[in-house]
Amino acid sequence: MRAVFDQNVIDLTSNGKEFTAIVGDRTAFVEIIHSENGSLDLRIDGKHIIAYVSSDGAKRWVTVNGQTFLLTKSSNGSSYSKGKHRSTEYDHTSELAAPMPGQVRSVNVKESEAVTKGQTLLVLEAMKMEFRIQAPRDGKVKALHVKQGQTVEREQVLIELEKS
Amino acid sequence: MMFQKILIANRGEIAIRIMRACKELGIGTVAVYSEADKNSFHVQFADEAIMIGEAAPKESYLNIGKVIDAAKQTHADAIHPGYGFLSENASFAEAAASANLTFIGPSADSIRAMGDKAESKIRMKKVGVPTIPGIEGIEAENDFKRAAQEIGYPVLVKAAAGGGGKGMRIVNVESEMSESLEAARREALNAFGDERLLIEKYLPNAHHIEFQVFGDQHGNLMHLFERECSVQRRHQKVIEETPSSLITSNLRGEMSKAAVVAAKTVGYFNAGTVEFIVDPETLKFYFLEMNTRLQVEHPVTEFVVGLDLVQWQIRIAAGEKFPFTQKDISQGGHAIECRVYAEDPANGFLPSTGKLLQFIEPRGPGIRIDSGFVAGDEVTHFYDPLLAKLIVHAENRQSAIQRMQAALREFVVHGVTTNIDFMQSVLAHSDFQEGKVTTRWVETKFNWMPAEPSFEALIAAAVADATSAKRKTENGNRNEPDPYSPWKNTSRFRN
Repeated sequence: MRAVFDQNVIDLTSNGKEFTAIVGDRTAFVEIIHSENGSLDLRIDGKHIIAYVSSDGAKRWVTVNGQTFLLTKSSNGSSYSKGKHRSTEYDHTSELAAPMPGQVRSVNVKESEAVTKGQTLLVLEAMKMEFRIQAPRDGKVKALHVKQGQTVEREQVLIELEKS
Repeated sequence: MMFQKILIANRGEIAIRIMRACKELGIGTVAVYSEADKNSFHVQFADEAIMIGEAAPKESYLNIGKVIDAAKQTHADAIHPGYGFLSENASFAEAAASANLTFIGPSADSIRAMGDKAESKIRMKKVGVPTIPGIEGIEAENDFKRAAQEIGYPVLVKAAAGGGGKGMRIVNVESEMSESLEAARREALNAFGDERLLIEKYLPNAHHIEFQVFGDQHGNLMHLFERECSVQRRHQKVIEETPSSLITSNLRGEMSKAAVVAAKTVGYFNAGTVEFIVDPETLKFYFLEMNTRLQVEHPVTEFVVGLDLVQWQIRIAAGEKFPFTQKDISQGGHAIECRVYAEDPANGFLPSTGKLLQFIEPRGPGIRIDSGFVAGDEVTHFYDPLLAKLIVHAENRQSAIQRMQAALREFVVHGVTTNIDFMQSVLAHSDFQEGKVTTRWVETKFNWMPAEPSFEALIAAAVADATSAKRKTENGNRNEPDPYSPWKNTSRFRN
């Protein structure tokens, strides 16, 4: 079976108790010593490894050898995850998203207002810290999606800009 | 008279740490909590718990009236404020006193004298404690611009009422002044309810070294040596240790003397911290501020001096006298603290929120964990993103670093992004190993990038999916909404 996490393709072949794993040009024999809720005891090419794996939708949190990685599983087997490569370069509009979850402290612009690069468009607050959302380039406010006081999630689109 | 019951006006790891001290002393504990914290560990851990309001700190943990009412309602006889929130609020200390409750901390007058960063600088200058060049007591934007020109850019504008990196902005050029003042004022108002700012010279390549001081109410005041807190991001500490490898024993002597003078100037008793900035080139030191409360990083001091600071806070508030003097206190071994934050170092250290899918703390000799979370808890955007403090103690600095590296490798947090891997890289860096890290090192010298997923991690992810898919087929459990969730899966695959 094939699994794709971000741009990495992993092919697993089951041969009874063992798997053969192929990742890129590397191959390994994987033996499962023990597997339970959220943790795996594996022997990869004879080397014992404890791996912690948690799932949240398509997301996989994996800790091996003290390092933690957040992987995203692609369901269609394509090696590109959706969204990540969406380009705004050829687009006339650009969306500014919340870099963190929090609350909108102030909205400093109105729709169809002209803005200049570096201008603070709105201010977000989370965990008692303030963050300014600034215009990445000159343009015009195409749409405002949030109001002062509103709670927003990470990556939620706050404001759309277009070329003036 | 020792207290019967103490109300802890705080949340998270520090509330739990204080409750542990109370339990050891045989004192009852009362937790207060906001709606967002109703399932928090600090609430479960207390003997009694009172809900005091909505999630926003202003409605709950910062609401003096509600906290005092909760203490009266539960017949507590003392209040421990922890750090942050109301811990450095003189009006709160006074409100407690007028309600016949003992405030576990210094006098309201000491809090007020040191809490005002402008006022305290003026006092320090008078008693000969060195301070950073700057101007206090100005309001108008033009005055700040004029002051900045006099001092020379870069300058720091910071809350006169505050500390802890909140309400603070570095201003590099005059054109940034207006917006920086506005942001610092708003943050200051929000965090401390006071928008006054002061301005001072910004020293970009300095060490942050602070001295723990401790006084009883019988005129005994001593220091418990230093803490080196130069590994910072966004003006907030990430890794602290003691002793500092920068300061010589001569400098340690001078700085500890200045710290004791600073504290005595305001008639200090209970635990406090005198913070200094040290220029590594000249080894000159400057008074920064005094924090009139317990510090987040107090455990490193507890490890090397062998005293329980929180128990002594309680005993001193109850009127006890120190049975030891300065010459009985010495530094034993080396201690390091790493603050495990729910934040993304690859994304400007912005907070990360979510449900903790796994939370496995390290164990072993010389390892201490102060945490306020367990697996399944929700990390919300309302409060500080501190998940846990990992503190280690060893014979010397090198073995303490090694112990910390091993402990961090065992720490597993899933569900929110943390700074664990980032701190691992800091510990492994030659600048850290040589004790050369200054307060802006993370921002200016350390270019951290998260590692690409390892071969083993990718295999583990694929195997986990394969085994849970197999479980699913074996169980015929096709209606399971999230077959991969580790929480719902009760079957075990064994070969």
